[in-house]
Amino acid sequence: MVGITEMTNWAVDMIDVRKTYGRTVHALRGVNIQVGRGEIFGLLGPNGAGKTTLVKIMMTVVKPDRSYGTILGRPLGHRGKLAVTGYLPEDHRFPPYLTGNQLLDYYAALAKVPRAKRRDNAKRLLDQLDMTKWANTRIDKYSKGMLQRLGIAQSLMNDPELVVLDEPTDGLDPVSRRQVRELLLELKHRGMTVFLNSHLLSELEMVCDRVAILVDGLVARQGTLSQLTEHTIEYRIQFDGDASDIRSKLLACRATLDGHIVSVPGHDLSRVNEVIDLLRNAKLSIESVQPHRFSLEDLLIEVMGQQEPVTARAVNMEDDV
Amino acid sequence: MQIWAIIIDSFRESRDRKMFWVMLCISIIISLTMICVSFEPGRVNFFFGISEFETDIFTVGHQVRPETIGAVVVDFILDLMMNRIGIIIAIIATAGMFTSMLRHGAIEVLLAKPMSRSKLFFARYLGTLTFIGFHATIFVGLTFLVMGLRWGAWLPGYLLAIPLIVLLYSYLQCISVLIAVVTRSSVTAIMLTLVAWTAFGGVQLVDDLFTTFPQWQRYQTVYTTARTVRWIVPNTADIGLTARKWAGTDSVVEFMPASTDQEKSDRDMAMRVETARLNVPTMYTVGSSLIFELFILLLAMWRFSKQDF
Repeated sequence: MVGITEMTNWAVDMIDVRKTYGRTVHALRGVNIQVGRGEIFGLLGPNGAGKTTLVKIMMTVVKPDRSYGTILGRPLGHRGKLAVTGYLPEDHRFPPYLTGNQLLDYYAALAKVPRAKRRDNAKRLLDQLDMTKWANTRIDKYSKGMLQRLGIAQSLMNDPELVVLDEPTDGLDPVSRRQVRELLLELKHRGMTVFLNSHLLSELEMVCDRVAILVDGLVARQGTLSQLTEHTIEYRIQFDGDASDIRSKLLACRATLDGHIVSVPGHDLSRVNEVIDLLRNAKLSIESVQPHRFSLEDLLIEVMGQQEPVTARAVNMEDDV
Repeated sequence: MQIWAIIIDSFRESRDRKMFWVMLCISIIISLTMICVSFEPGRVNFFFGISEFETDIFTVGHQVRPETIGAVVVDFILDLMMNRIGIIIAIIATAGMFTSMLRHGAIEVLLAKPMSRSKLFFARYLGTLTFIGFHATIFVGLTFLVMGLRWGAWLPGYLLAIPLIVLLYSYLQCISVLIAVVTRSSVTAIMLTLVAWTAFGGVQLVDDLFTTFPQWQRYQTVYTTARTVRWIVPNTADIGLTARKWAGTDSVVEFMPASTDQEKSDRDMAMRVETARLNVPTMYTVGSSLIFELFILLLAMWRFSKQDF
């Protein structure tokens, strides 16, 4: 197994990750996730899907019940590779008695970064995140956004090969969010692998190469954004006039009418043409035909809708027994 | 590098607590108060001659005996300030240091660093000892200088009280850490540590009573149990005695009044207990206490290593 996994080119290759809290809370039920080297990967899912548990397992904070696979070519849970991994947890609490500089130095020392490099990296990262003038201020004087930026800097102090960020833009204003996005893209260009866990789907959409959707402790979808959304296109046809007379015909074509817009789900162009013909035959003017690619949010809602609730599944299992 | 970073951080955290500065003020006030006292043959002066009383306790021949002054400092001032008040302040001040590390949002960052949980645990434990280590050094250092410069009583062995105070605190801190790891509550850690300290003292008191009243030793079961338990739990009461032994000072028991039969009897009993305690090798009392401490720490570390955060 080790021989095989060492050959993999994935930065993160997690196989059959399972975690149960107590006897009843199945946080992860066999998660398989692969993240390529040098890509920005987004993990999304509803609350309670198991995203944070998965991230904590990656960072050895939580011990899985079962897991296979590798992170940066070493088995999951290997501590040595943490020296080249950066991590920003969700809802982090940094020691309030430290200054920004002291905090960066402390955590970098724990990551075995030499002193000179710690100094250089702290200066560079604080500058990059507009925090230089606060470097020697105690962090209990920082705003939430400043703490978040400091947290991101902390996760990058060891020049990691892989950086895992749990809700990195939480508490940031729009300007800072853009700053973080630019930073993430810069990290990608430097060859760093970025693993993002965020509930801000639009943020993920803007920067991620690939995403995975976690629902009820299982990966419901995984792939590039275009892969995940290619089968979920709809066409929106805007027209002028009253289409109520042909409503039943539109429904027969599986199109839906909403005011002056007819939506045709799927990417079957013949059906789109069929709807256009219907509209034109009814003497209605076509103003525009636009293909509508589903956003991550649409996709997530769709995936969640397809998932059977865990409680229901548990009941079914009991019935089977 | 990692252990040192954690120790430095722990000291910064302890410095951030009000108790740190309270303790520092107490040490300075006591040292300043000691400066206001001077010993002369046949008398003791207070506040640079404003008040004085005559006594021969500190005088041998026509000179003040440094070892007797040292006995007062070790048995009263050091024992009260560091072995009691100082330890209580340290327990209260540092109980939160482990729970603060274990808090959600803080522990995740630490556990994601390339070091084992056992290393993190022991480094943090050592870090919590820096509070008492710093204050013991300040207090003993200042009082050592006052004794030497003001009273001419240079007792280099007195400086060994610094590691002894840290040792005494570590016996109790291991319990605080175990409770903190299990409950993640500072208040519970403080309360149960103080209860344990009282229990240790109680066990030692019972054992001392058997020495004071040898006739009680006929209750074999109770006597054997008391003896056994005494050697299992940390010998917190012996630390002061060891400090005096290493400082080379006199015993204050020798200065107990013995003018009446009752007073003579009391002094004899106190001497008997002290002699019995002094007859036990220091390595034996410290060694058995360290075994207890190590056992508790391993238990706490095992629990810490197995936990999910």
